[in-house]
Amino acid sequence: MADPDPSQTANASTYPPPPPFWQDFTPDNLARLKDLKQEQADSEGIQDASAIRLESLPRNLRNLQPPLEPADGTWRVFGETYTLANPLPPLDSEHFQRLFPPEEERDQDGKHFDRATILKRLAKSLLLNFLELVGIMSINPGAASPKITDIRDLFINFHHLINEYRPHQARESLISLMQSQLDRTRAETNAIRDVKEKVERILEGLGSLKMDYEALDGLGEKADPWAAEAETWEALMEECP
Amino acid sequence: MGDRLTQLQDAVDQLAQQFVSSIHYINRHHSLQLLGPNDQIRDVKPEPGQEDVDPHAPETFKASQIELAQDLITKEQQIELLISILPGLDNSEQDQERNIKELEEELKAAEAQRQKAIKEKAEIMTKLDTVIRSIRRP
Repeated sequence: MADPDPSQTANASTYPPPPPFWQDFTPDNLARLKDLKQEQADSEGIQDASAIRLESLPRNLRNLQPPLEPADGTWRVFGETYTLANPLPPLDSEHFQRLFPPEEERDQDGKHFDRATILKRLAKSLLLNFLELVGIMSINPGAASPKITDIRDLFINFHHLINEYRPHQARESLISLMQSQLDRTRAETNAIRDVKEKVERILEGLGSLKMDYEALDGLGEKADPWAAEAETWEALMEECP
Repeated sequence: MGDRLTQLQDAVDQLAQQFVSSIHYINRHHSLQLLGPNDQIRDVKPEPGQEDVDPHAPETFKASQIELAQDLITKEQQIELLISILPGLDNSEQDQERNIKELEEELKAAEAQRQKAIKEKAEIMTKLDTVIRSIRRP
């Protein structure tokens, strides 16, 4: 992953330039990589050429193939270590009271109404606890600290539940994004088709006009432009004695 | 303006903020009371870092209390509203995955159609072009 020859000055600047291998992404190189993959796929009898990984690539093509996922699941960027799996740390039940049933026990139908109910309950509890806190404070301010702990627990629980929901919302956003892109693509296709049909109609109209011109042209070539009319008249004259 | 979850989290944080500021207001502006006939309000030297109590007139104090309480209720109702419009409450993870797969297929089909339409458009344009070029005065 690390580029073999990064110049130190480039890495030290505030806005470092992009890694030098971006220059390898030329249309030619991309086409060559695609050909190579296709060859490999043909030789191995695999249908989907895009899933192939080529082991020995020429040097200028090596960077076109994305690197594999790190084997141990961690990597370093800007001096910080990241992991592939990024789970939400579980609510620490030693320090905070857990105010909702564990994940396995709620939303067993796969839907999330239980979560919404719990959240609403927590919100109401917050208000109630605040009311109690104000009451306690007005009588004996020294006894308020357990109540403050309760409120803190409520807030922490609330945030935890919300953060648990984030992956779900991310998928939901993806769905709506895809839906809107689908709509856009379809609208574009329809617009193109409309224009195409319009042009076709105009062409048809032009075509019939053109035939008229051709007919006229054809007439013009004859010696007598009125020959057709003359024939008609002659025929008429013959019919009427 | 973030997504719904972030909005919800912000609203919850604002609620906490409101709790604090409500208590702060009461603490700062309450009136001083005599609890017995022999009491008298002492002139306490304010401790460093602690603000002096600045009693508001009873009507103002009452009105502010009511306003603060109403704000709290409003915020809580906002939170409940935000909870009930969280996206995809009635979708399970499997539903979502199926949905995404379907959309992916449809997107591919739509894209293919689009490419086809573009090709047709190009063809019709060449045709139109030749027609226009071939037009001459009769």
